[in-house]
Amino acid sequence: MARSSVQEDRKARAARLREEQAQAERAARRRSTLVVGGVFGLVLLIIVGLVVLKLTQKAPAAATASGAASASVVSAVTSVPSSTFDAVGAPSTLSPVITYHPTAKPLTADGKPRILYYGAEFCPYCAAERWSVAVALSRFGTWSNLGQTTSSSSDVYPSTSTLSFHGAGYSSQYVSFTGYETTTNQPDPAGGYVPLDTPSKSDLAVVDQYDAPPYVPSGDSGSIPFMDMGGTYLLHGPQYSPQVLAGLSHEQIAADLKNPSSPVTQAIVGSANVLTATICKLTHDAPASVCSSAGVQAASSHVPS
Amino acid sequence: MSGQTTERAARSGRWSVPTWTVVVSLLLCVAGLADATYLTFEHYTQSASLLCSDKGTINCLAVTTSSYSDFHGAPVALLGLLYFVGMTALCLPVAWRLPALRWVRMIGATTGVLFVFYLVWAELFRINAICLWCSGVHVITILLFGVVLFATVMAQPSAAESPGADD
Repeated sequence: MARSSVQEDRKARAARLREEQAQAERAARRRSTLVVGGVFGLVLLIIVGLVVLKLTQKAPAAATASGAASASVVSAVTSVPSSTFDAVGAPSTLSPVITYHPTAKPLTADGKPRILYYGAEFCPYCAAERWSVAVALSRFGTWSNLGQTTSSSSDVYPSTSTLSFHGAGYSSQYVSFTGYETTTNQPDPAGGYVPLDTPSKSDLAVVDQYDAPPYVPSGDSGSIPFMDMGGTYLLHGPQYSPQVLAGLSHEQIAADLKNPSSPVTQAIVGSANVLTATICKLTHDAPASVCSSAGVQAASSHVPS
Repeated sequence: MSGQTTERAARSGRWSVPTWTVVVSLLLCVAGLADATYLTFEHYTQSASLLCSDKGTINCLAVTTSSYSDFHGAPVALLGLLYFVGMTALCLPVAWRLPALRWVRMIGATTGVLFVFYLVWAELFRINAICLWCSGVHVITILLFGVVLFATVMAQPSAAESPGADD
């Protein structure tokens, strides 16, 4: 009788123990589920938060329509001190986008090497390179009616501040320049951008021939900015990323050009030095004061031959 | 599982997770692998045959050819492909049974989600365009993270005779 009572007592204790264990396991499982749910919920919350932030963000200001460049911007671009060109030289971070084609058809006008620029105002990569083109050509001649605009507000590197060659004039005793901005930065209903400059038939033929294979990889055919310098040097794409100019106004960029250590100046003036060294090859090192300067000499190693 | 069974199972060196997590994680990895393979192919063929809009907000071309399509010089599409190759190996049934891989798998899934945060931010705030194929990879990566997290937290030592997964 007593032995039976002890056995029953043991059984009851074992059952109680099993029940406690089961309860503990259920509680642990509940805690685990809560942890998983919490962490996964946090991940979803971050993604949803990013989307909501984007949706509630003020729409980016529409790209500024092209207009005349301000006097201070033109002055800064056309009068970069020689000491700044020499101090910057040619940073190694520049992209090697210029290629040499000695057997291509020479491009000249009025007995001078001709430079053909082909881009568009919406294009963020053109926005970056245009600053350097304007700075470089200022060393060989004089600009008039330079424009001021921004790249598209809905493309990569939105609303990058830049100049425009639409309607601009250029005179030089060393080189001739023609610039085309084929569209504005304003979207048109067809999903593209409002057309602007119409290239001449002969210039379009140059672009069709040299902005295509074998001069560029097949995937980059027709990409802009494109430049033909004297028929011998081609530029496909920007020498530096438009990211360098992100968030900066025209005036801020212009003001930066006085500071040789600024990343903006390193990119714009460094690229301008490479373009200048390239043009010097076409002008047979004229003018000497420009072509023999330290900055241009340093950049000449970036010019393919 | 009783205390004795747990000890015996732990000594056996194998872990069991809910069967559905093994199946679902592997399916997600295979889907991610297919999507990432397609994006890598498009990357190396200049996105010439990308089946997606190239205008407006849904614009795969703007995303896959943007400066954010490279990460420290490595194509993001290729990184995605390598990621899913690794995760597929880690989510094979045999890999789920090995306790040593539990945290490797969890770290892999977490890294994937952190990278998704970066890519979604880039699409929304830098490129201003959405790539549907990339979004597919992002959704898969997040779901995979959820499944791997659940399985890792719920994993328990299994009896030696266990096949490695139970319900």
